[in-house]
Amino acid sequence: MRSLCVVAGLLGLSASAHADNAELYSEKIKPLLEERCYACHGALKQKGKLRVDTAVQIREAGVLDNGELIARLTSGDLDERMPPEGEALHAQEIEMIQAWITAGAPGPENEKPEDDPGQHWSFQTIKRPEIPPGDFGNPIDAFLAEKHNEQGLVPRDRADRTVLIRRLYLDLIGLPPTTEELADRRSYSAIIDELLANPHYGERWGRHWMDVWRYSDGYGLGAQLRYSQKHLWHWRDWIVNSLNDDKGYDRMILEMLAGDELAPEDPDVIAATGFLARNYYLFNRTTWLDNTIEHTGKAFFGLTMNCAKCHDHKYDPISHEDYYRFRAFFEPHQIRLDPIPGEIDFEKNGLPRAYDDDLEAMTYLHLRGNDLDPDKSKIIAPGVPEILADFALDPQPVDLPVSSWAPGLRNYVQEDHLAAADARLKEARGELAKAISGNALPLDTEPTPGKGFALTDHFDAERPEIWNIEGSGWRYQGGALVQLESTRDKQFARSMRPHPANFDLTVNFRTTGGDTYKSVGIRFDVTGGGRDAHTVYASAHAPGPKVQIAHTRAGQTSYPGTGRIARPVVVNEDYEMRVQVRDRLMNVSLNGEFLLAYQLPARNPNGLLELFAFDATAEFDSISVSPLAPETSLKESKNPAPKIDSKELTAVAEAKVAEAEIWLRTLKAKIAADRAGIAGKGSVNLGEVVRLKKEHAVAAAKVALLTAEAGKQAAAKKALAAAAKALKNPGNPTDYSPLRGSRKALETPEHKETDYAATYPKTSTGRRTALAKWITDRKNPLTARVAVNQIWLRHFGEPIVGSVFDFGRQTAEPELAELLDYLAMEFIESGWSMKHLHRLILTSEAWQRTSSNLNADPATLSKDSANAFLWRMNSRRMESQVIRDSLVHLAGELDLAMGGPSIEPTPDARRRSLYFQHSRDKQSQLLSTFDDAEILACYRRSESIIPQQALALSNSKLALEMAAKIPAAFGENLSTTEFAREAFQLILCREPNPSELAECVNFLNEEKDRGRLVHALLNHNDFIMIR
Amino acid sequence: MSPEFHQTMQRRRFLGSSGFGLGSIALHSLLQAGTIPHQTGDPHFKPKAKNVIWLFMRGGVSHMESFDPKPALNQYAEKTIDETPYANVLDPEHFKDLRVVVVNDANGKQRTKIYPLQTGFKQYGQSGTAVSDWFPHIGSCVDDLAVIRSMWTTDNNHGAQVQFHSGRHMLDPRVPTIGAWIKYGLGSLNRNLPQFISMGPRFFDKRDGHYLGPAYDAVTLKIDPENPLDFARPEGEITAEQQRRGLDLTNRLNRLAAEQYPQDPVLEARIKSYELAFRMQTAVPDAMDFSKESGATRKLYGLDQKETKAFGEQLLAARRLSERGVRFIQIMHGDGAAGAWDQHSRLREKHSQLAMQVDRPIAGLLKDLKQRGQLEDTIVVFATEFGRTPGSQGSDGRDHHPFGFSVWMAGGGIKGGITHGATDELGFHAVENPHYVTDIHATIMHQLGLDPRRLEVPGHKRLDRDFGHVIHDILA
Repeated sequence: MRSLCVVAGLLGLSASAHADNAELYSEKIKPLLEERCYACHGALKQKGKLRVDTAVQIREAGVLDNGELIARLTSGDLDERMPPEGEALHAQEIEMIQAWITAGAPGPENEKPEDDPGQHWSFQTIKRPEIPPGDFGNPIDAFLAEKHNEQGLVPRDRADRTVLIRRLYLDLIGLPPTTEELADRRSYSAIIDELLANPHYGERWGRHWMDVWRYSDGYGLGAQLRYSQKHLWHWRDWIVNSLNDDKGYDRMILEMLAGDELAPEDPDVIAATGFLARNYYLFNRTTWLDNTIEHTGKAFFGLTMNCAKCHDHKYDPISHEDYYRFRAFFEPHQIRLDPIPGEIDFEKNGLPRAYDDDLEAMTYLHLRGNDLDPDKSKIIAPGVPEILADFALDPQPVDLPVSSWAPGLRNYVQEDHLAAADARLKEARGELAKAISGNALPLDTEPTPGKGFALTDHFDAERPEIWNIEGSGWRYQGGALVQLESTRDKQFARSMRPHPANFDLTVNFRTTGGDTYKSVGIRFDVTGGGRDAHTVYASAHAPGPKVQIAHTRAGQTSYPGTGRIARPVVVNEDYEMRVQVRDRLMNVSLNGEFLLAYQLPARNPNGLLELFAFDATAEFDSISVSPLAPETSLKESKNPAPKIDSKELTAVAEAKVAEAEIWLRTLKAKIAADRAGIAGKGSVNLGEVVRLKKEHAVAAAKVALLTAEAGKQAAAKKALAAAAKALKNPGNPTDYSPLRGSRKALETPEHKETDYAATYPKTSTGRRTALAKWITDRKNPLTARVAVNQIWLRHFGEPIVGSVFDFGRQTAEPELAELLDYLAMEFIESGWSMKHLHRLILTSEAWQRTSSNLNADPATLSKDSANAFLWRMNSRRMESQVIRDSLVHLAGELDLAMGGPSIEPTPDARRRSLYFQHSRDKQSQLLSTFDDAEILACYRRSESIIPQQALALSNSKLALEMAAKIPAAFGENLSTTEFAREAFQLILCREPNPSELAECVNFLNEEKDRGRLVHALLNHNDFIMIR
Repeated sequence: MSPEFHQTMQRRRFLGSSGFGLGSIALHSLLQAGTIPHQTGDPHFKPKAKNVIWLFMRGGVSHMESFDPKPALNQYAEKTIDETPYANVLDPEHFKDLRVVVVNDANGKQRTKIYPLQTGFKQYGQSGTAVSDWFPHIGSCVDDLAVIRSMWTTDNNHGAQVQFHSGRHMLDPRVPTIGAWIKYGLGSLNRNLPQFISMGPRFFDKRDGHYLGPAYDAVTLKIDPENPLDFARPEGEITAEQQRRGLDLTNRLNRLAAEQYPQDPVLEARIKSYELAFRMQTAVPDAMDFSKESGATRKLYGLDQKETKAFGEQLLAARRLSERGVRFIQIMHGDGAAGAWDQHSRLREKHSQLAMQVDRPIAGLLKDLKQRGQLEDTIVVFATEFGRTPGSQGSDGRDHHPFGFSVWMAGGGIKGGITHGATDELGFHAVENPHYVTDIHATIMHQLGLDPRRLEVPGHKRLDRDFGHVIHDILA
């Protein structure tokens, strides 16, 4: 309103107009210019040689008298109009500016222009500030005392010893002290040293850094990995171990960004590059790299690089091109899983890591940030923003050792593959022996009763815990599980757990189209990954629609005539098929009509269930499976169980043995070739290995033909003929490819693993090393300050610099800048030792003060009620992980095992919370309630106070169970008073005062269940607060 | 610490310790110790509406078979678009805003063979607005609706659900949703219930607050008399009496602790959050208890019929919650990863079934709100992430269509009985008064007395497109 009055006054040209207008400028116009114009016409840039950051400069620019300023602000031509981005200034704003110009564009006297960007506080080299004088054991206290004196603040006393010990335990290891630990009489610094040496320190602080570095387990849709990587826990364990080893923070950054270049043969170092693997995104490389760029900047050196993706940074000296120069550091890199000794299945284990894949990858500037519009006229080389470039290094390419660029040549990988091939041959021989002796079919195997699970699914939502979905054609859509691709490939939804041995199954489906056979149905007794199964399906094959039972044995399927019944099955009709099985007797009905009673030739214990469509598209609307009720009577079959031709089985088994033998031979030859080739010993006939591989292809094609399903015989024959033809040509050495030892993460959803070469470039560009060295150079003014600020935040609950990930020009110099710089220098000069910094902070009086306002100096309280100058300690709420870990630990139930794969976040889990799966799809409900780390970015945890938290501690299974278990820790013979005192000590780590004790005793006099008192204390504010 | 930040902290702590007028401000919006300055809960200008019931049909409702009739589809049925006079709709220039997430997906393609309308249309009410025969009950309320037939978005896959709520594409960073901003911008109207509630199946992004923090996520309620709210009932053996006694003790001990920690806003807030939690334990089940609703009301919402019961119960709950002052009630309809309204096939059969599930309950909600005088204060929104292709997918479906689709709004000062904007003759592109999804957000905020441009958090730049533009033409 005020501005309007001012404008109104202006129009009347009152005497005080000048003063009013100067005020109008300061209050309204200058902030507007600052927001909309300074980015291009201020200290950062002077486009068109125009600066508008002081009234004088505006007046002297010659844009007022000729009306250009107003003309540009109001131009209808978007190429002319200012500001060029965003919306035009509003009519009111322009009116205001016009009025100000009319009044002569006055400004305040001595108006200062914007500081030169290079002068921004955080861009200045860190210098060790002089410690203010005074008798202080710890320099932190000297810096703070200086501020206290300036501000007239009276600092508080030390907290009680038990409060301090609890604070220490929670701060350093994230677990509350036991009653004995609370009574520890040793010196305070001895306890600090012990806790810093405790391996749980790495877990506690590891979780902090997992927040900052955005840890997330891999996730996607169904089986398709879209974000992050499988087995990323290797990186989490690297974080924990690095902290426990007090590895220098500079070294940690080097390893995270470039561990593969620094120590290409050390998996313990390479695991650090999980930091990069976490940004993997299947669908869009630019989104992937955008995340890498943004979070490298925010986490390590506190600049919002991301703001320069589409245009020059509005506030900081980072140009649009700088963004892409920064991207170029990462351009060549890709992610892969490296083999872990003893495991060749990457679904089970593997080390997610970065490596340079495309050494020639070009970086271009994306016009307006649009990745579809690169400016190909200029190749952009890697580089850092100019203002901080004077200590940057040129990338030096790194020659990689063989084990790095050809992981398939590592000894253990070769041995693991050989062992697997041996095992496969052994198994094939065993099967052959069984086939020859006529024991191939476990005809006498009866199902094990009592196993398996009942299930009902309407396919309204994905349920990955129930179904393993294989194949690209499946979708959950329109309340159904839909197969969109008509194919003869193995595509199925397979249950994760066995069905009941004797079961009653109803499936509702509809065949929506397809090619020849249009078969849709279920398989049961699925074992050996589908090698053995029984199948029932409805085929809408126009010439002969039918319902058919089939058996798959050792990969070969037979379709007995006694299991077939003609029915007019058609597409786009709903069908309900019911299948009941007891031992070897099976009944099938369709839409309520009984069709078949059938004797199964055998059963496979603990088999799984599958839904499938063969040569068909289909929709499954629902399925329900339950154990067959004993009272249900089934119709007996008139026909005996079908015989399965054992000659065929023998032939299959023989073919498999042949295939396994040739594979072993091929593998041995390949490995010998790989070894000789690398060692340069003797000549290797690579052509012979290629020929062997072709021979193996023929053997494999023979097996495929023998085990092909009816509809696939022709294709299998063709494949065999092609393989045989290929074998006739001599082996061409250039077709040789070494053993594939690792798995590259797919660059796009269309790719397959086999599209990629088995080996990688023999050099790495060194770009990421150069970047990491720039970040960790002691001349870098940001890195140490940003890290110290993060560590300070986690000790004091408040950071020194409020915007923890942005130290750019939008962030003013903090009040405690000298302290920050002092700590940053200490950090650097201690070899970037976090433990040194922890010790320094924890031994300060500042950290040891009470957090209570009780008896605080009233003047201090009113001057600095927010405690900006740390005249007392801040109370902090435990992070979600500490709350849960403490609950479980107090009950003596916490499993303190360290490391390994992430676990399901269930209420029954007992490991520490940092081992919980943490991704978009998997998050603990309890942890979420207490501000768990945001998956996408969490530079600082929130500390909300919401009623759901009260409900969670009051009502959750975990809180109630732990409350019930804790009393067992105390002797049974305690009086109510003794019990109350002990419980108080254990849970709140302090003695109750007489009123508190009286409340507890009164409570226990009415409530005989002592667990209730414990539960009430677990809900006490002092339990979840770190005082 | 910057002086600015310092000031914010001081203000927050001050509010935290003394700012509780009884029932004036919800604790959880007031006290979130973190980096975010707090809103006092005052609107920026005089509001025309108090709360919002946000109905979102997941999967993509066909606009041509709901609120945007296109007889040309019948006229040119089975022809390709090239064979119609409207071949220019396929001009690549029209598709330049499209941003594809899943390249080469089987879905999300241009479908060029015209698929005729699968249902008829009728004109309803004084206004004569045409509504499809699948939504006769909503048709009977048409004089209260402003139908917007010119929505567009940029994602051709179901990430568009995230986009409709936040204004940002799946490939962009996640930002707060409309419900979170409203919770952030406004105070609570009640002292027993959360301000922002979600029911029904969420889209893949299950958070709302994002950089505002988890305190701005919706609180999920379920239509389950036993357990409408997570942790609202003890998951173990404990009697109500025991629980009450335990909470009393906690409360008394906390108050004793306050003697040791005076002027501690967190402790104050914790005590109050326990009180609110305790009240919520009763207030939530009470809000979700329909036993006192008359038979006529239950019937109005379709609680008497199998098909409409589930959604009807959520809408009845929504009315009861809005009546009790809940600000923003977000209800998703249509389960499944992509959402049930995703008819790539069997459109006629499934869309008609789904429409039947929601038609009567929604009309019931509108009528019920109106007869209670609540519709004046409550904005009801009917939305979906995109429309469906004018061309057929397979023999009997339609594919995703982000270039033109329909939503409607009612109540809370929205003009009734009007249509706004239009798609071309084929229903392909929004051609008249086109609106990006955030225009709906801007319009809602405007009615609630909020200026979205004044809702910003330091360090998180919002783009022009995030704010949207108020659709003044539909305001009464």
